[in-house]
Amino acid sequence: MAVATIERDAELMLRVREGDIESFAVLLEKYRGPVVHFLHRMILNQAVAEELAQEVFLRVYRSRANYEPTAKFTTWLFRIASHLALNHIRDGRHERNQASLDEEIGEGMERQVASRGPSVEQTLVRESKFVEIRRAIQNLPAKQRAAVLMHKYEEMEYSQIAAVLECSESAVKSLLFRAYEGLRAKLAHLAG
Amino acid sequence: MSPNTMSCPLQSGNADVLLSYCAHMLDEERTELIEQHVAMCAECFALAEEQKTVWAALDGWESEPISAGFDNALFARIAAAERSSAWEQWTAPVRQWLAGDIGWKPALSVGVACLTLVVGIYLQNPARPVAATPTVEIAAQELEQAERALEDMEMLRQLEPTADEEKRL
Repeated sequence: MAVATIERDAELMLRVREGDIESFAVLLEKYRGPVVHFLHRMILNQAVAEELAQEVFLRVYRSRANYEPTAKFTTWLFRIASHLALNHIRDGRHERNQASLDEEIGEGMERQVASRGPSVEQTLVRESKFVEIRRAIQNLPAKQRAAVLMHKYEEMEYSQIAAVLECSESAVKSLLFRAYEGLRAKLAHLAG
Repeated sequence: MSPNTMSCPLQSGNADVLLSYCAHMLDEERTELIEQHVAMCAECFALAEEQKTVWAALDGWESEPISAGFDNALFARIAAAERSSAWEQWTAPVRQWLAGDIGWKPALSVGVACLTLVVGIYLQNPARPVAATPTVEIAAQELEQAERALEDMEMLRQLEPTADEEKRL
């Protein structure tokens, strides 16, 4: 992440601290997508992910008075998001809320079969791959899952993931190595 | 460092370098070094190929669109939280006391302190009928003035010569 971006985010947050709601709207516009998508991939339920993302931004806003630009804004933001997601998973709420994978693929297939388009077979293969990926991610321990999602989709460096998860950089490397080992075992056959 | 002299990341416990290579997170120089090593090392090659497959599979996981009402719902939550925050701030001590978080002893101390303060203020400025005070004072002054006037008149009367004395004069 560019230094200019970091400074810009911190500057915006400092303005929010001074009561500038417009700056908060700018930060929301910029990070709404990454936070919701991260939470969705963690929780595997879009509605719950959006609710938790709102909680993340609500906490950011309510903590504005105490904000100090000591760390990257994204580190702080994703630390809040990770805590909420990990707590949600720990409490077992995600199991009740999580949309059934079979249900989802079933609905998807029905939609595609009903349309009788030329790419039904391709679509089914794609849907099947998608379900496998979701299952593989879902089966990872929560902390490994969080590390993979930040590494893959947010392109965070090991040091930043370590700061978000509040552990050492070597612990993050170990988490990621084990996580990808598991994913390779489950997903390597998808090649080609 | 040439790829020939470079130690194998898997052998040297630096598998994270391979992960970073597959994630295209290394700089150009290091990417080239790893690339050359991977081409020569069967173990690293296998891992890199599998990792690239995983990476490509994860790329296919598209994110779902966010609800149109996301921002409105968020700002409504912020407004509600701000309102409840102000109310909570004002009523926190009372709620804590009612919830039993604050015991009777501190409440009793506060009560005694308030009572002492009120008594102190009262003793310093004892309540008087404010409207009556000037009237009473004026009446007292008038009475005193009248008494003095009477005394003066009496003195003058005593000083005045009687009728016999006037005849003699």
